[in-house]
Amino acid sequence: MKRTFSKKMWRETGAGYLLMSPTLFVLLLFIVGPIVFAIFLAFHKVQMLGTTTFEFVGLDNFQRIVHDTRAKIAFWNTLKYVVIVVPCQTILALVLAATLNAGLKGQKFFRIVYFLPTLTSSAVLTLIFMWMYNQNGLINHVLKVLGLPTYNWIGDPDVALNAIMIMNIWSTAPYFMVIYLAALQDIPDSLYEAAELDGANVLQKFWYVTVPYLRPVTSFVVIMGLIGTFQLFDQSYIFSAGSGGPNNSTLTVVLLIYQYAFKTLGTMGYAAALAVVLAIIILIATLLQRKFSKEESLY
Amino acid sequence: MKGKKWLTALGITSVLMGSVLAGCGGGNEKAANQDASGNSGKKVEVTLAGWGGNPSEQKLLQQTLDEFEKKHPNIKVKLEVISEQYMDVIKTRLIGGEGPDVFYLDAFEAPALIETGALEPLDKYVTDDFDINDFEKPLLDAFKGKDGHIYGFPKDYSTLALFYNKKMFKEAGIDVPKTWDELREVAKKLTKGTKVYGFGVAPELARLYYIAESKGGKVVTDDKASFADPKVVEALQPIIDMHLKDKSAAQPSEVGANWGGEMFGQGKAAMVIEGNWAIPFLQDTFPNLEFGTAEVPMINGKKTTMAYTVAYVMNKDSKKKKAAWELISYLTGKEGMKTWTSKGYALPTRKSVAAELGYDKDPLRAPLVAGASYATVWQKGKNLPIIVNNFNNQFVSAFLGERPLDKALKEAEKTANKEIESK
Repeated sequence: MKRTFSKKMWRETGAGYLLMSPTLFVLLLFIVGPIVFAIFLAFHKVQMLGTTTFEFVGLDNFQRIVHDTRAKIAFWNTLKYVVIVVPCQTILALVLAATLNAGLKGQKFFRIVYFLPTLTSSAVLTLIFMWMYNQNGLINHVLKVLGLPTYNWIGDPDVALNAIMIMNIWSTAPYFMVIYLAALQDIPDSLYEAAELDGANVLQKFWYVTVPYLRPVTSFVVIMGLIGTFQLFDQSYIFSAGSGGPNNSTLTVVLLIYQYAFKTLGTMGYAAALAVVLAIIILIATLLQRKFSKEESLY
Repeated sequence: MKGKKWLTALGITSVLMGSVLAGCGGGNEKAANQDASGNSGKKVEVTLAGWGGNPSEQKLLQQTLDEFEKKHPNIKVKLEVISEQYMDVIKTRLIGGEGPDVFYLDAFEAPALIETGALEPLDKYVTDDFDINDFEKPLLDAFKGKDGHIYGFPKDYSTLALFYNKKMFKEAGIDVPKTWDELREVAKKLTKGTKVYGFGVAPELARLYYIAESKGGKVVTDDKASFADPKVVEALQPIIDMHLKDKSAAQPSEVGANWGGEMFGQGKAAMVIEGNWAIPFLQDTFPNLEFGTAEVPMINGKKTTMAYTVAYVMNKDSKKKKAAWELISYLTGKEGMKTWTSKGYALPTRKSVAAELGYDKDPLRAPLVAGASYATVWQKGKNLPIIVNNFNNQFVSAFLGERPLDKALKEAEKTANKEIESK
């Protein structure tokens, strides 16, 4: 009895694996394999070019991070970026969504217009912004007309990271706006009617009905935002032509990983160690966020 | 029921088979390549990788390659242009065993790549006909390994020269500066607020190296950074002062340009120090601009400048080394080099070719050619890329006036050396 049961099980499992095999194969080759290999690399000193050598060095690569000034700068820059961009883009997305759901005239048109930046490739977007950020570019021109001070957006270390922040908030907020818009459709009208009967004004309705009801979605938006911002790379790469300059001001963790992996020879293992540390940090940040939002039903 | 059993086996083996097949792919291809070179009757295809130049440069290279193919009917050259992140692409391809047979290598990157053993030593191929002593010695030495072997032959080079706007000099009624002190005075006179700067400067080590070492200090000692030396600081201080005190110098980004040539062409700088590459650019993009060139002003009564050179090197894993050498020896030989440098986009590294083409008499290029005899080649050991990165990052903060130069350089030196030690 037991034997036949296991035979049947085997048969069914086999069929299942056969059907999944293309997906499994791709997953193993392109996702699981590289992850395992990256962890392997993180504990080795690797020389890839010429004679390939892997020398086991234990935790040396991780110890090195502690003493690496540029790694510290990169983590600090990334942290600054996350702390400013995530709340800004979340709040902006929520406000945009609420406004465009209020039944204004032409709101469909504005929904499309606001969503457009998200559809543009981030590399193209960065290049366009670099034109606008140019010393004689559009943004400085507008600031001058308004009588505000102008900046050397790309060349000044104090401003360069902020320039990237502004650009990114502007381009990612609409994406989350769409998610909020979808969620807003789910809020039953009866809640608003009840609030109105209690004499709530527009702001109170937003604060006491809309915001709490959107909590699970906010949780999702913040987690996705955290992951996305921690992985900032392309914008700062294009901005600084790969160097992380001026004066390391746009050096992010992923950019540093890229530099160690592909620019300097023989530091692939160290780059992998940095990547592992970044993955752990993102994991912790996500878990913390979930704990604080006390929302376990979703995602 | 029993017939379905094969599903089990197939399901698991297909996953395994897939990975085995993927693993085999590379091996089969290599075996096929070997066949091609072993059989000399067939046409051999050699891949040549380089970065792109402007369209007329590309045409000239194609012409040189066509001539080569005509002379070697059994070799076909496949030109691959890598337009972005050249070294990253080359390194990755070499690691993956898919490297080109012959490729460009900048002197700056050469020591580190030679040390990895990914390049084929070329001296054993050299014949008397090739005439190795014809090359400018400093340029050839840039591609010598620590073991004394030669790993590449320089295809061309450029030095730096002072480019000046003739109209602006005429209006101000001044002469072209001969010394660095004169340049500083002249720059003040040519500056018009923030519209026109006297001197456009690139605050990066590749362009400042010769200035940094002009007072006897060393930027790199024993493969480690040593640019916090007070003598280096003293030599570089005038550049910072010109920007902050005289307000007569600016970097291209401050006026919205991408590089010195563009800044100069747009008339936002009266003088820049650039190389041969700026000449065709300025002539094509700003045909109305009247400009002249002069040797880089003297510092401490000594003539100095930088030289940048690029060589053809051979991949050690190449399966067609014989054909690859044929290509290299033609391109860096007298005939190939003459065609390649005939239009003046690049300067020939062979003395005989330089003499034949007469660039030392060309009014715009003469100062560049003159520089070759006293130039410092842009190369300093395998750790230079790390040193440069740290120098550039911190030098900018001094250039922008956020910190005194000696402090910035001290910190940069510390960071660079830490990075080198932990390597």
